[in-house]
Amino acid sequence: MRVATALAASCPAAAEDGFFEKRVRPILANRCYACHGPHAGAGQAGLRLDSIEGMLLGGRSGPAVVPGQASVSLLIHAVNHDTSLQMPPKVKLPIAEIATLTRWVDEGAHWPGARPTARPRTEAASESGFTEEERAHWAFQPVRDPPVPAGGPTPIDAFIGGRLESEGLRPARRADRRTLIRRATMDLHGLLPTPAEVRGFVENDSGAAFERVVDRLLASPRYGERWGRHWLDVARYADSNGMDDNIVHGDAWRYRDYVIAAFNDDKPYDRFVREQLAGDVITRWGEAARAEGLIATGFLMLGPKMVGEDDPVKQKLDFADEQLATTSRAFLALTIDCARCHDHKFDPIRSSDYYAMLGMFTSTKTVLTYRVTSKLNATALAGPDADRKLSEIERRFDYHSDFVTNYNRATTPEQVVQAQQEALEDALEEYLEIPKAMAVAEGQPDDLPVMLRGSHLTPGAIAPRGVPAVLASRQPAIAERSSGRRELADWLARPDHPLAARVMANRIWKWHFGEGIVRTPDNFGTLGDRPDHPELLDWLASRFVESGWSVKSLHRRIMLSSAYQRAYAPNPAAEARDPENRLLWRANRRRMEAEAIRDSLLAVAGRLDLAAGGKTMRHRNFTNLNAMALSRDPELYETRRRSVYLPVLRSALYEVLAAFDFASPSAPSGRRGTTMVAPQALFMMNSPLVEEASRHFARRVLDQGGAADATRIRLAHELAYAREPAEAEIASWSAFLDQYESAASSRDDAWQALCRILVSSNEYLYVQ
Amino acid sequence: MQPNRRARERFPRREALRQMGAGFGSLALSALLAEEAAATGPLAVREPHFAPRAKRVIMLFMFGGPSHIDTFDPKPVLNRDSGKPLPFAKPRIISFPRRGGDLIGSPFSFTRHGESGAEVSELFPHLAGIVDELAIVRSMHCTNPRHGGAVLEWHTGSDTFIRPALGSWLTYGLGSENRNLPGYITICQALAEGGANNFGAAFLPAAHQGTPLGYGNVKAEDATFPFIGDGGRTRLQRMELDMLADVSRRQMEREGPDSELESRIATFELAFRMQTEAPEIQRIDGESEATRRLYGLDDPVTADFGRQCLMARRFSESGVRFVQCNSNGWDHHFDLKNGLTKMCMQVDKPIAALIKDLRGSGLLDETLVIWGGEFGRTPTAENADGRDHNPHGFTMWLAGGGAKAGITYGGTDEYGYYGVENKVHFHDLHATVLHLLGLDHTRLTYRHAGRDFRLTDVHGEVVHGLIA
Repeated sequence: MRVATALAASCPAAAEDGFFEKRVRPILANRCYACHGPHAGAGQAGLRLDSIEGMLLGGRSGPAVVPGQASVSLLIHAVNHDTSLQMPPKVKLPIAEIATLTRWVDEGAHWPGARPTARPRTEAASESGFTEEERAHWAFQPVRDPPVPAGGPTPIDAFIGGRLESEGLRPARRADRRTLIRRATMDLHGLLPTPAEVRGFVENDSGAAFERVVDRLLASPRYGERWGRHWLDVARYADSNGMDDNIVHGDAWRYRDYVIAAFNDDKPYDRFVREQLAGDVITRWGEAARAEGLIATGFLMLGPKMVGEDDPVKQKLDFADEQLATTSRAFLALTIDCARCHDHKFDPIRSSDYYAMLGMFTSTKTVLTYRVTSKLNATALAGPDADRKLSEIERRFDYHSDFVTNYNRATTPEQVVQAQQEALEDALEEYLEIPKAMAVAEGQPDDLPVMLRGSHLTPGAIAPRGVPAVLASRQPAIAERSSGRRELADWLARPDHPLAARVMANRIWKWHFGEGIVRTPDNFGTLGDRPDHPELLDWLASRFVESGWSVKSLHRRIMLSSAYQRAYAPNPAAEARDPENRLLWRANRRRMEAEAIRDSLLAVAGRLDLAAGGKTMRHRNFTNLNAMALSRDPELYETRRRSVYLPVLRSALYEVLAAFDFASPSAPSGRRGTTMVAPQALFMMNSPLVEEASRHFARRVLDQGGAADATRIRLAHELAYAREPAEAEIASWSAFLDQYESAASSRDDAWQALCRILVSSNEYLYVQ
Repeated sequence: MQPNRRARERFPRREALRQMGAGFGSLALSALLAEEAAATGPLAVREPHFAPRAKRVIMLFMFGGPSHIDTFDPKPVLNRDSGKPLPFAKPRIISFPRRGGDLIGSPFSFTRHGESGAEVSELFPHLAGIVDELAIVRSMHCTNPRHGGAVLEWHTGSDTFIRPALGSWLTYGLGSENRNLPGYITICQALAEGGANNFGAAFLPAAHQGTPLGYGNVKAEDATFPFIGDGGRTRLQRMELDMLADVSRRQMEREGPDSELESRIATFELAFRMQTEAPEIQRIDGESEATRRLYGLDDPVTADFGRQCLMARRFSESGVRFVQCNSNGWDHHFDLKNGLTKMCMQVDKPIAALIKDLRGSGLLDETLVIWGGEFGRTPTAENADGRDHNPHGFTMWLAGGGAKAGITYGGTDEYGYYGVENKVHFHDLHATVLHLLGLDHTRLTYRHAGRDFRLTDVHGEVVHGLIA
């Protein structure tokens, strides 16, 4: 053992004794003994510094010195105040004293008269023994497949009806057809129904008419654009890094299109999970699916990363932490990342669980090199040959980029810099030409130690790679060369997993109703909400798995229930008993989301461009958008395509979407906020987008609405509200038009004002 | 003095409403609803934890990392040893090791000023004149040696995660005194190095995010609020809003009352008022010639930052809780002598003017002014005539708002590399700022993703030595 030999080699020697007694011991005595000395009992934090044994044995944070290696000795880090552990706590030692201690440790930490017998304490990984109470948490129990109670008309209604009845609540009547098709179309497409679609449904009196509407909506590519966007919230999707440097993710769009296609194709959810976590290593779907699998792992790549981090080890751990946090919240609705510095305060997740899972991601290749402005990994889509070529270009690019960033201006000749810059530009040009995905690859598999207090400068005991112990009676066996991601993915996609199906079924329910059965869709831990209808959640999860994890079949089940089709009807008695509508006695009234607001504005104006998919981020990979104004480059958003295709610049979001609570792509989000603030009103009153949309909307009404005010007002109403105006409304609008025209001296302006009021109104913006 | 008196005199709100109300039947109701929304909304005024010393903050952010050893922290030993190697170890992590050199002394001379005798370099002649108002903290330190990390660390307390900004925590804790304006405004802030994360609300309700007035590349005189109208359509907009209120009322008559829908219509009234008030505050035409000269608006070198400072005073006296002025370009990796001189000239006079002006109006006592960047700079040379990033010891200062005037607190080692005496981490200064505003940093928490978050995470101690 190195500790022992270092000591043996340096002992004993009178000169060293003198150095210690004259220089080192006084520092320890004056500065440290008060808390870690002979009169301090076991010492603060279990550490004694009055013997070499005490130092080697260490305290709660681990051994205090590694003889001969000041650079990895906790004592030296602590007196330098360069970690979270800073000693002495208030005042930093004079530089001379730090230098003395450093020299002493580097020279072997010689302690007069000491026999080097002590071994560093290695803290046993925290025991995975859980209390009964911890194990009993509802979300960790196996999914039961409960029998459907009596009642109806659908099984969902039977589960819900029981509680409504026992609480004495009468459910609202069925919504009228116009309301229903507006709700369903917004729900599945994020758009409003056209007047023709409304008419078709209203005039079809068949009992299966609504079912047909649902099937038509599910079969349209507009569906994937809407529901794919929901998942992109969870995947904290962005086209740029946006943590510190706003580096362009020039290939992220492939992941966005992959997600949209997955929903449109009703890709089985278990496969969707596997592909996103380990699509690069799973071969079972054949060569044709290779590209898809690679692109899917963009899920792990897309997060915000502090690329300007000078400490490569911290950077690696931070990047992996972000991957772990996203995986944990997206698929498990757990906050495993809370256990980075200590055991989870509320859930039975140990710090060792965290590092066991983190090891899978640190064993994964995410970037080319861990250093400042580290470059994300990419994989060529055409196959291994193309990928070898790409790797070679990446190596060159990385080298030149490092040079150009770090050269010394005082000593580097101009021509050298210029040559490097040209070589960098050449490499980038070649790089851009190769079709590729932001994708992880397998790295060097290795287990991590538990980092005490979350600091890599204080490593503790090794935590073998694995999954959270409270969720797994048996750990998956990790193959020799595997990072463990593949095993993690297989474990997550097991039909009997307690969380995977529940979490996704709850998300789908939430995106339909506005609230989940569990109202904290990203946290099923002990501080999360409890399910309002636990049996229903389990029944839905069971059917979800049974259907081959078909998301579309879950939509059909939910939308064909009476619960989904209820009216938004006031009922003071019910309101008093259940103001939050947890028991679903009525429909919820919901404001359109940011994308739906923009898309619908363009659609009523007849201006929405329905072109699907493809690259829309114009800036090149590796560009740092921080060149000030670039982040707000208005041209980026000049397109009239659906909002899901607009580039998402993290930390510089498009202000139209940001104004209406677009999900922050900084972390997974299964539940957007709905704020109501004055800037949203300013947007309706003054923004160029509303100005332009209302002008075109007015033009459309004038061109297509016949010659009379009344017929034009009727068309405007149908487009905006999916209903016809009452006579009184027509009269009121006519009066407004006249009044406004005389003030503005323009009838066209008056029509534009009418259209702006329609799209600003609550009836337009809220779906019920 | 009443904090908002001057503002109220300029904008007699109720009177204006009465006048606008003439002929518009629905306005009275809408206005009432707007008042209600403001009283209960996320920006409603909330009581602090204990009696505050300051009511609001003006942050003067020097983006890039101003050199402390050339401005507020003279180092005779460094000048003596200029050209020699640093006699102790550099930090474990440094940003540009390949460019590093030996010690390099300051090209600027220092003199003692004021009754406090605080030392200020020749770069800040105007600040030297108000030095008795300042609490100069020479022992600041933070964790991250890169702009992105350190800028985020200053603004949000974290260089690892995306977290709410200091200004967001303040409006979350205290609400906003002026219901027609945002509670947190940042003027011409760069979108570099963390971008909007630096003034973002993260998981706090979106109403707490900083409202940007222009961005880093925009001139202060061109900076406007997002989507604000130009005032050209006021009368027509009034008609539209009345019709909108009408349409909304009809819907509620049909479908029953809904407070959410009512509140939403009320936000249009708020927006309408904001559209009147905000540009009025930005317009500085009404300021006297003497004031304009005081802030340096008559000199192209100081005009831009002078305008920022003057706007900050006007927003602040209108009750905006947190205003930030931003000076961009303090990253002097080479040619420090000229680069730093240029930056100091741009801000020196305007900042001194702001302090004097606030003192003159009595507002300084309840307005905390903070000056500083994300880190300082190394005593060793970079690229021969510049200095590298140094988060281990640097200077910031406070003025007004309960900060102890005329003191120099803490210190760096004899070369100015590391803080050694009474070190103050960003977390500590954050805790102190919250304390001055009447908030206990350990109790100002927000429950998110399964736990309670705070600005200072698990760190931070109030620096009582900085408090008057």
